[in-house]
Amino acid sequence: MKTRNLISGLMGATVLAAGMGWTPVSASDITITMAAPDWPPTRFMKEHFDATYKSPAGHNTTLDMDFIPWPSFYERVAASLTSGEQKYQMIVTDSQWLGAFVEGGYYMNLTDKIAADPELTAILQDLHPALVSAYSTYPHKTRAQLEEIGEVPAPGVSYYGFPQFPDTYVTFYRQDIFCHEGEMKAFMDKYGTNLPCSYEDWQDTDWSKWGQIGEFFQRKAGDMLAGETLDDDFYGIAYQAGKGYDFSTMQINAFVWQQGGDIWDESKAPSAQAEGVVNSDVAVAAFDEYLSYLQYMPPVAKTGQMDIFVIQDLYMQGKVGAIIDWVGLGEPVLDANASKVHDKSAFGPAPGSRMADGSIDRTGNIGGQPFVLTTWNSDEVVGEALNVVKWWLSPETQLEAVKNGGQSGRMSVMADPSYNSLRPWNRAHVEMIDWQKDVWHIPEFFEMLTQQQEEFDKAITGQISAKEALDEIAEFQQELLEDIDMIE
Amino acid sequence: MAEASSTQGGFGAWLLDPKRRGALLVAPALTILFVMNIFPLLWSFGLSFFNYKASSQRTPKFKGLDNYADVLTDEKVWERFQTTAVIVASSVLLQLIVGFLLALLFAKAFPLRRIVLMLVLTPMMLSFVSVGVFFKLFYEPTFGIVSYVLNFFTTEKFVMLATPAGAIAGIVIADAWMWSPFVMLLVLAGLVSVPKYLYEAAEIDRASKWRTFWTITFPYIKSLLLLAVLFRTIETFKLFDIVYIITEGGPGSSTETIAVYLYRTGFQFFKTSQSSALAYIVLFIVIVLTNLYLYAVNRREAEVS
Repeated sequence: MKTRNLISGLMGATVLAAGMGWTPVSASDITITMAAPDWPPTRFMKEHFDATYKSPAGHNTTLDMDFIPWPSFYERVAASLTSGEQKYQMIVTDSQWLGAFVEGGYYMNLTDKIAADPELTAILQDLHPALVSAYSTYPHKTRAQLEEIGEVPAPGVSYYGFPQFPDTYVTFYRQDIFCHEGEMKAFMDKYGTNLPCSYEDWQDTDWSKWGQIGEFFQRKAGDMLAGETLDDDFYGIAYQAGKGYDFSTMQINAFVWQQGGDIWDESKAPSAQAEGVVNSDVAVAAFDEYLSYLQYMPPVAKTGQMDIFVIQDLYMQGKVGAIIDWVGLGEPVLDANASKVHDKSAFGPAPGSRMADGSIDRTGNIGGQPFVLTTWNSDEVVGEALNVVKWWLSPETQLEAVKNGGQSGRMSVMADPSYNSLRPWNRAHVEMIDWQKDVWHIPEFFEMLTQQQEEFDKAITGQISAKEALDEIAEFQQELLEDIDMIE
Repeated sequence: MAEASSTQGGFGAWLLDPKRRGALLVAPALTILFVMNIFPLLWSFGLSFFNYKASSQRTPKFKGLDNYADVLTDEKVWERFQTTAVIVASSVLLQLIVGFLLALLFAKAFPLRRIVLMLVLTPMMLSFVSVGVFFKLFYEPTFGIVSYVLNFFTTEKFVMLATPAGAIAGIVIADAWMWSPFVMLLVLAGLVSVPKYLYEAAEIDRASKWRTFWTITFPYIKSLLLLAVLFRTIETFKLFDIVYIITEGGPGSSTETIAVYLYRTGFQFFKTSQSSALAYIVLFIVIVLTNLYLYAVNRREAEVS
């Protein structure tokens, strides 16, 4: 009797499912464990996934985010991958890690999957080429190389990641002091040029004016600032000058690239050299200019510990007039509970180098992270993980992410008329993303980065000159890269 | 009898037989020790003779003693050893001085002594990470308390961590703050073990304070002081957390201790075999120091008995 009931029930369910257009096969419980840095863009992804995601394949899918604090993110991910525990199905990764973990056999090559799936191909074609170059290709292809090939996906190029959070650095500034009439007049009187107040003013701000701003707003406790007496010292400007991870490098690369210098170019290996390029006269002059503005920054700059979080913190405490920092760190600045300047802040593009024709070159080092799939996933999990990629990069999800402090890498989403007004830094981000390049992606990147950061730090703290630092870096990189046959 | 119980009670009774109970009780601890300590030690020792990189899935090749030779001829390694030696010497000396003075203070009775003693012991109960973060914030030049206080006397903000010497001093102060109470405890134990009649005899003989200290107090505490020096030297030699949090080894590499360098080599550069070789060299030094420590402990025991 019981068996007959069960069979009747199953038949009824199958008929009902067929009638409602369901696919009654291969639906299963899938858990995707994703390593993710613990910050708002990934927290939002988890919340939004739980609220909105429905598997197109009918699976009961759970996104289990392993939120890892930023300072230990690389070590935790690296330890998990190299230990062989195979814990993660997806990973939010810095683009620089691609080489180490592709060569290690941990990140999945998605080239064939993309080529075989029109929806993924369409997404890739809609992603900003700077992001495809930095976040997806390994061996690394520059944006120019990809554009020269023309096709997307490009034949002979391997793709690994999609943007989880594309980040750029922009200027955060105090509108109350930069648009203060008295300060504007005093600045004009002193330097014969305007103090940038509007977005358009920041579009015309180069490094030279950045330095003037720094000098102008450096005030002591007891001095006046925008009509009020200061109870503590105040500083005009700040940017990354930190020994940790990639902090100094991200800003110094911008100076070098903008002025026509270069870092070792992995896309031209093995013919590209480090010596003579990394320490070229142009690079030395660019690094010297970077160093010259540190005198106007908060004294923590002298310790080489002025990282992206320190400058964000000093800005939110009202100690600095303008900083150059990642868009991803913008949201707390507008939080009344965390920031003293939440109602006084505005955003503009980062300054750049003035070219001979009067235009400004804003080439910068891209931030943000792609997300990738790991190699040990079953076909079913791979299929569902790619569904998660499509869900995250769908225009609806992307716009929701942007409303909540995220950014989109899709050009069609960035072209949406409402995009720039969704968050106050969006316009600057859209302008800056076109200027982005990336640092190296080879497996030895951490060794190169750490040595470079050390030498930069010595120069930042005044122990050696810019030339000495770059000579050391060039020599080290030349030797290392020759050893691994990346330089002939 | 045992046979009877095993037949009657089955496997449980057989296992709990008094003959096997001792082995049974130590088995979990031995298993954990083997899995967590001995096996990784042996494994990493083996790795130190290959060219293995944890980030790569390539088959390791045997390199013999090459990794040891590479490490010992690496200028950077010797620089890091020098930095470690400077930090160890400065920190242990400061801990001895402060710990000794605190012990002299607490050897005498005064109001609220117990409460003050408890407060003084608090730093050594904190985690390294907490202490590192505290001191990093103390030294922060814009809003840190050190700069704030010194700003009453100077016009400029005090930037402690801007120079190699200042950064080393910053680490030494943090480490000494944390561990001077430990030295104090050891010295205090020695001070309270000095028989009172010896001091009374010295007073009758009108011995000077210095002579009383040198001929009565010091012999009682010298072995404990040696213990403190060795124990703190071993611990400070491995100093990682405080350095990594306060300076990350900077400015440049001026405060990068051998432990920080070892970590970078192993977990950032993924030179697994080379870092294993370096780790064994460090382990060898620590074993030598530990043997000295055990020798001092034995000498103290002989003195007491």
